[in-house]
Amino acid sequence: MQTSQSFASRFLTMKRNNIKHGWKLAKQNRTCYLFLAPYAILFFTFSILPIATSIFYGFTYYNILEPARFIGLENYVNLILQDEVFLTAVKNTFVIAVITGPLGYILSFLFAWFINELPKWLRAVAVVVFYAPSIATTAFTVFSIIFRGDAYGYLNSLLIEFSLIDAPKLWLLDPNYMVTILIIVILWMSMGTGFLSFVAGFQGIDKSMYEAGYVDGVRNRWQELYHITLPSMKPMLLFGAVMSITAAFNVCDVPRALCGYPSTDYAARTIVTHLFDYGFSRFEMGYASAIATLLFLVMIVCKKAISSLLERVGT
Amino acid sequence: MSDNKAFKSSGTLQLATGKKFRGELVAGDTSASFYARSDAEPVVSFSYSELKSMSRVRRGGTSCQATIILKDDKKYIFELTRGLMVYDYMNNHWAERPVEVKTRGDELRRLAELRGERIQRPRHHLIRRRHPNRSIGGDIGIYLMLVIVALLMAFPLVFAISASLKPLDELFRFPPTVFPRHPTTDNYSDLLVTMGQSFVPFSRYLFNTFFITFVGTAGHLLIASMAAFVLAKYRFPGGRLFFGVVTTCLMFTGYVTGIPNYLIMSRLHIIDTYWALILPAFSAPIGLFMMKQFMEGLPTALIEAAHIDGAGEMRIFWSIVMPNVKPAWLTVIIFSVQGLWNNSASTVIYSEAKKTLSYALQQIQAGGIARTGQVAAVNVIMMAVPILIFIFNQSRILETMASSGIKD
Repeated sequence: MQTSQSFASRFLTMKRNNIKHGWKLAKQNRTCYLFLAPYAILFFTFSILPIATSIFYGFTYYNILEPARFIGLENYVNLILQDEVFLTAVKNTFVIAVITGPLGYILSFLFAWFINELPKWLRAVAVVVFYAPSIATTAFTVFSIIFRGDAYGYLNSLLIEFSLIDAPKLWLLDPNYMVTILIIVILWMSMGTGFLSFVAGFQGIDKSMYEAGYVDGVRNRWQELYHITLPSMKPMLLFGAVMSITAAFNVCDVPRALCGYPSTDYAARTIVTHLFDYGFSRFEMGYASAIATLLFLVMIVCKKAISSLLERVGT
Repeated sequence: MSDNKAFKSSGTLQLATGKKFRGELVAGDTSASFYARSDAEPVVSFSYSELKSMSRVRRGGTSCQATIILKDDKKYIFELTRGLMVYDYMNNHWAERPVEVKTRGDELRRLAELRGERIQRPRHHLIRRRHPNRSIGGDIGIYLMLVIVALLMAFPLVFAISASLKPLDELFRFPPTVFPRHPTTDNYSDLLVTMGQSFVPFSRYLFNTFFITFVGTAGHLLIASMAAFVLAKYRFPGGRLFFGVVTTCLMFTGYVTGIPNYLIMSRLHIIDTYWALILPAFSAPIGLFMMKQFMEGLPTALIEAAHIDGAGEMRIFWSIVMPNVKPAWLTVIIFSVQGLWNNSASTVIYSEAKKTLSYALQQIQAGGIARTGQVAAVNVIMMAVPILIFIFNQSRILETMASSGIKD
């Protein structure tokens, strides 16, 4: 957050120089705080406080029954050095995030761009087709029928039909295929809120900029994309990136529903399912909090990296 | 002049000299007048036949800025709360607006028709090229790819629907078929039977979900809009910082904060009550984010004008800002409903009587092979609701999403 940071630093210098002024400003705007208060209180309770609690309990042993016991960095040390399942989870999460995050993001952008040039009614249909998988959040369970392990499953029967395999494969139970299938399903669902934001953003671009582009000799669609479209889409690009990171790192429902919970050999375990396991099945809240804290950190770092990358796009 | 069908809107008028008036524009069938506050005589009055041109700038919501130039080159700039409606109304009654321009080709064709000659129709391109710098090959390639990918995207959904219409014997046919041969609605009626046998009357689950969704969404809309209004329109210490934190929290979903949230809720003693679902929904970051970004598009002049008239913040919020951001309401409502509708809440609600529809349906899904057909029916019901809401509100949602970007 460039702006908030600069604001914070400005606010701090202002505070140092003239506390009274700040107080006066706040007093003048006290209605603003009244308006903000209901949301701010709830937001603090259900979004900020949980994050703070997570960070705090991450340094303790806490199982709800006994009071929390401070154990320093032990949770983190155990996570990284001893918990092999966690390492599998990290590996899976990163493989899934690295593939579905950028790919889903780029696909969302490209398809939003292609759709933008369609006639209006067709565009409306196309938006529904592409966006439907991600709003119909439970729809992915059909994949459990498509990838079913017996011969009634679509993929199996298709492959048997063409004699590519002679016996049905247990797609969702075999560790060799799980991650691949998860990636396919998550990519299918990746045209989410970010995609919608792109579609809307494309429609909002000033048409006269393109006309100016023709005159200035923008020869093909790719040049137009790089020199005109991308720079006007920066805010949406950042929003889409935030949404992609969210989706890529918070993979939880899909592996739980498709590959079972726990999955064979923990092959489909992700960081969030690991967290679920420790938090809600084993009630090791301290350990689960440490996992959550790590995940927060990773996501914030990712967002920072992407926003600084986007600074350089399309100049 | 003062006919019944006249359209009215409050707002400001700016003359070419820079002088500003606040008041009301009344647009009738043949003429329009602008009345300043507490003046009986209009400041400006013109009939539509005097118009030379009208152009508008869309600002967000129903408000707009319209620039009107008369034939004697007088220029008026209106900034109106219900500008869009007034503008459209005036536009419809503006008789002398330039008619479509005839080209030389049109004229020649008309003459040829008069002489009774055969006219060679211009060939229409298969794909209308709206951009001169696109290659046809590229267009075809892209459309082909779009069609293929769209089919791939749609297949699982189509399959989910067709599975719910298959009788049980077809569900286990080898090789499996995509479309049912004898479509039935048996699965749905079986589902009703299963629902009737549940431990808690099924209507209870339905009520729970509706209650939670309704209260959660309504409260969220109100609270988030209030916060968004001051964040978008006023500068006060801490405001920008707060919004920055909210933007960062967009990334943290319910899964990750689930455990500490549980601990906090148990401290607040709201575990196993509806509040455990409703209160977090009130403070969903996405609603505030969307609302704030959309409200930034509202003209500040409107709010300042109301301030000078002595309206309090609450009045301004309720009667000027909220009616103007209706498209954003719907978007916020949809995101909120979507979140609550799918919330099975298995971790914070224990009593069977307080569980949600989504939970009950998941229990039916857990019923094993014998319920395969019903599972498919449940799946269709669960996915149909959010998709249908989206389809009916697409244009308004996209309008809101256009302002969704994160400005760094």
